[in-house]
Amino acid sequence: MAELSTLARPYAKAAFEYAVEAKDVQGWSDSLSLAASVAQQPAVEKLLSSPSATAAKQAEAVQNICGDELATACQNFISILSENRRLQLLPQISQQFEIMKANLEKAVDVDVVAASKLDAAQQKALSEALSAKLERKVNLQVSLDKSLLGGAVIRAGDTVIDGSIRGRLTKLAESLNS
Amino acid sequence: MQQLNPSEISDIIKGRIDNLNVTSEAQNEGTIVSVSDGIIRIHGLADVMYGEMIEFDGGVYGMALNLERDSVGAVVLGDYQSLAEGQKARCTGRVLEVPVGPELEGRVVDALGNPIDGKGPINAAATDAIEKVAPGVIARKSVDQPVQIGLKAVDSMVPIGRGQRELIIGDRQIGKTAIAVDAIINQKGSGIKCIYVAVGQKASSVAAVVRKLEEHGAMEHTIVVAATASDPAAMQFLAPFAGCSMGEYYRDRGQDALIIYDDLTKQAWAYRQISLLLKRPPGREAYPGDVFYLHSRLLERAARVNAEYVEKFTEGKVKGQTGSLTALPVIETQAGDVSAFVPTNVISITDGQIFLEADMFNAGVRPAMNAGISVSRVGGAAQTKIIKKLSGGIRNALAQYRELAAFSQFASDLDDATKAQLDHGERVTELMKQKQYSPLSVAEMGVVIFAAEKGYLQDVEVSKIGDFEGALLSYMKAEHGDLIDQINESGDYNDDIAASFKAALDKFVATQTW
Repeated sequence: MAELSTLARPYAKAAFEYAVEAKDVQGWSDSLSLAASVAQQPAVEKLLSSPSATAAKQAEAVQNICGDELATACQNFISILSENRRLQLLPQISQQFEIMKANLEKAVDVDVVAASKLDAAQQKALSEALSAKLERKVNLQVSLDKSLLGGAVIRAGDTVIDGSIRGRLTKLAESLNS
Repeated sequence: MQQLNPSEISDIIKGRIDNLNVTSEAQNEGTIVSVSDGIIRIHGLADVMYGEMIEFDGGVYGMALNLERDSVGAVVLGDYQSLAEGQKARCTGRVLEVPVGPELEGRVVDALGNPIDGKGPINAAATDAIEKVAPGVIARKSVDQPVQIGLKAVDSMVPIGRGQRELIIGDRQIGKTAIAVDAIINQKGSGIKCIYVAVGQKASSVAAVVRKLEEHGAMEHTIVVAATASDPAAMQFLAPFAGCSMGEYYRDRGQDALIIYDDLTKQAWAYRQISLLLKRPPGREAYPGDVFYLHSRLLERAARVNAEYVEKFTEGKVKGQTGSLTALPVIETQAGDVSAFVPTNVISITDGQIFLEADMFNAGVRPAMNAGISVSRVGGAAQTKIIKKLSGGIRNALAQYRELAAFSQFASDLDDATKAQLDHGERVTELMKQKQYSPLSVAEMGVVIFAAEKGYLQDVEVSKIGDFEGALLSYMKAEHGDLIDQINESGDYNDDIAASFKAALDKFVATQTW
C-alpha cells in the first residue's frame, strides 16, 4: 500500500544509514527480515493491531520471539517502532531496506517467467544481457508458466519486458479489435 | 446469420496480422491500488511523465495527473467499471493526443476525437498533443481583422477581431448559446473554421445545436467536440483543450478559426471534482489553487500569430499569411453574480465580455446584451470601416437612454430635447433586437444603422421598427443589390456610399407609409 510505504520510508532509511555506518548491512538485513516475518505471524499481527496491548508489551513480544538473533541496536530499533506504534510496518521496512541494499550493491532482483525450462547456458546469457542493459548485478529468479505459450516475461522492479507469445497474441487481439 | 464487416475480409486481416509490429520493448508497469470515482491510484510506474497516457487492462486508458512519492494518481478516460485493485497499469510513453485537421470538419467527436455521430471513422492524417504552450510574444500580431458575428448589437457595440478572446457571460437560459450558434452560422463562406466545444451540457442540447447548424448549412465548416453531462469528469475537463488543439491546427497553418467553449463554468466544476478526488487542497468555492491557470493557459492559446510564425511552422509552405484562433468562452452566472470566483477569473483573462441580462431578456430585448457593461478591449481596431463609422452613436444613444429612462419615470413633463433623446433611444433599443439564426451581412447592418443614425426611424412607431427593418432590407436587396454586394466586398464607407444610402432611404420612405 502506498500509504504504508510512505510511513515506513523514514524508518527504513534510518536503519539503513545506521547499518552502513556500522558496516553491518547484511546483519541488519537478516534481522529485519526475521522481525518482519515474526510481525506477519497471525498471532503477532493480532497483538500488534490490538489497541489494548501497550507499546512496551508489543515490543517485548517481538523481541522475545526473535530471541538472541537481534543485535542490541536492532532491539532498540524495535522499541522505537513500538513507541510510535509502528511495529506493523516491519514488513514494509524490511522490503525497503532490501531495495536500498540492492541499490548499494548495484544489484537487482529479476524475475523471469518462462514458458519452457531454461538451461544453464540460456540463464547465463540472459543474466549477462540483462546486467548489461540494467547496469546492475542481476539475481535471476526463474519460474515456469506454461500459459505463456512461448518466450518469457522479464520483470525488474517496475520495468517489464514482455517477450511471450501470450503477450503478442494479446496485442494482436487489441489491434484487430480497434 | 450475422453480417460480415468490410474489415473482416481475410486479406485485410492477413495484412493487419502481417503489419502488426510487436517488439518486446522494456515497459514500465505498476499495480492499481485503488479505484474510486474515476480516480485510480497506482503503485509503481516509476518512470511515468506528468500527463502521460496510462494503459490499463482491456484497452482502457487513463492520464497521470498526480505524481507522488509512492503512487501515481490518474483519471480514467472512459469506462472504469472493468478496472479492479491489483490489475496492472502500463506507461505508454505518450502524452494525450487528439486527431486534428480538415477531416474532422462536419463531425461530432468526443473529448478524445472519437466520432460519436455514427458517420464512420475519421481518418485524420495528423494528431496533436492536447496540452501545448501558447505562442510567445514574438510570434504574435495585433488583432486587426474582424470576425463578423452577424448580430447588430454585437458587431456595432462590441466588435470582435480575429484572435480575440471575448467572453459571453450571463445567467442560464438567456441566450448565451444562441449568440455562439449565430456566430458559427455567420461564418459560412467567410473561410473561418468553427469549433463548438460543449462541456457538461445535456446531450439533447448538443443534438439540438448540431441539428440547427445542419439546417443552416453551417456544419460543413464546424467541428463539434462534445463532453456531455453523462461523460466522465475527466472528459469534460479535457474537451476544451482537445477543441483548442483542433483550432490551433488552422491557426498554425495561416488560416482563421473560431472556437466556442460552452461553457467553462462546467469545465471548472469537472476540474474541481477531479482535484478534490485527487486530494488536492481546496481553495475558494472549493476550487483547486490552479483553476485560474486552467482557464488562462487555455485562453492564451487563442491568438493571432504573425506570418513569420506561420512560415516557420509550415516550413515555408505557407508564406505571408497570418493565422488566428478566436475564442468565445461562455460562462454561466448564478443570479447575475459576476463576482463569483470563476466569472471574475475569466473576465480578467479575456479581452472583453458580452454581458447578457435576465431583465432585458424578459423585457423582450433579444439578444439581451447590456450595452453599458459589455466591452471589447481590442475589437475596435478590427471593426469593419462602415460599421465603425456608423455605429459610434448607437452606444451613446443607448447609454443616454437608459439614464434618462430611469430619471424620466418621475418627471411629469419633459423638454423637447429630452423627449427626442428618449424617443431615439427607445427606437435604437428596438432596432437592436434580432431574431435567432438570422445574421445580417455588413452592408445590411450598415443600412439599418444608417437609418437609425440619420433619423429615419423618428416617424416610425416603436412597435413597427422590426417590420420597417425587414421591409428596408428586402427593398435594399431588390433595388440596390449591387451596392450591398460592393459594401460586403470592401467594407468601405465614404461620401459616395453615404449619398447612395441617403438616396435609397429617401426613396424607400417616400414610397412606403410607416
